[in-house]
Amino acid sequence: MSVASRQVPSVPVRTSAATWNTIIDLLTPPGTSARADLAAVANTVAMLIAEEYTCEAPIVVIPAAGDRVRIYTLHGAAAIEGEEPAALASWPLAVSGWRISLPCGAADLDDVRTALKPSPHFEVRDVTEGIATASAVPQQSANGRVVIDYSELERS
Amino acid sequence: MTTAVRVNTYAHATTHVATNMLRGMKQIIQQSGLSTSKIVGDWAVLEAGIAAWLSSGHLKGLVLEIYDPGKRAGDDLVGRFDFTIDYSYYGDGDGDLWLDPDTVSYTVLKNGSYPSRCSYRLIADTSPGHPPVDGWSTTTFRSTAGFTRHSVGTAIGGGRLGAGLHYYTRSNG
Repeated sequence: MSVASRQVPSVPVRTSAATWNTIIDLLTPPGTSARADLAAVANTVAMLIAEEYTCEAPIVVIPAAGDRVRIYTLHGAAAIEGEEPAALASWPLAVSGWRISLPCGAADLDDVRTALKPSPHFEVRDVTEGIATASAVPQQSANGRVVIDYSELERS
Repeated sequence: MTTAVRVNTYAHATTHVATNMLRGMKQIIQQSGLSTSKIVGDWAVLEAGIAAWLSSGHLKGLVLEIYDPGKRAGDDLVGRFDFTIDYSYYGDGDGDLWLDPDTVSYTVLKNGSYPSRCSYRLIADTSPGHPPVDGWSTTTFRSTAGFTRHSVGTAIGGGRLGAGLHYYTRSNG
């Protein structure tokens, strides 16, 4: 499995809500159902961006097929000095079955989990944790242990 | 802890102050023992309005009214927090972008928490002629008669902008 990584300048270059719109443009072309799914969680994700959780740990896009995409947001001087992200090689949400994992601080975890309940494409994780390699069900290794993708813990 | 970033443009300052005032209000709501679902549910509209009116120079302040739905209308205010905007906080317009979340925490600590049955609303205090922003409507403030206003100091700054924080406590018991 390979992973593409992008950094999106956020506050003060653009508001947290505008940052999520930029990320939506990166992931989906106009007029797709996936775009509507992303727009439906805009308020919650904008808050996560404003709190800079997405600076500490990535938004992880897990397509049904193809490379994962890790998206970090840049804040403060890093945002001002940062470059706009390059387009991805393909649209990662073009095939149904995609998921997106969002980082969140402990103080907001329960509220965000509740807010995202109606949106099955999205899951939230503690900002200090990595994410499992498998999708819905944790992958089992030959000896029955859960396999964790430690590369997700590393910053690009 | 205070974080600072060397300056840039007025647009950067308004975005920085707008988003961080909203963060500050969310922090107050959370640390006061209230649910953040309402402020988070309106995040994009709130942020858009605050940023637009800061940019146009019409925003005088951002007000968080906390009220008890079980009390009679007109007498239901139980607390209030204001961010007030100073458009010439830095005379040269070249102030660092900074945020002091400890000032917000201190304010909540001084003020105490509210029963979970209490609700809240955010009001942008604007001067006449402000440009329209989708999702916002006009309203009037609840009366603060019987309350005392306390000023904590400036909590957010950038460019020539400063956002001072104030809170209200009931002065007659």
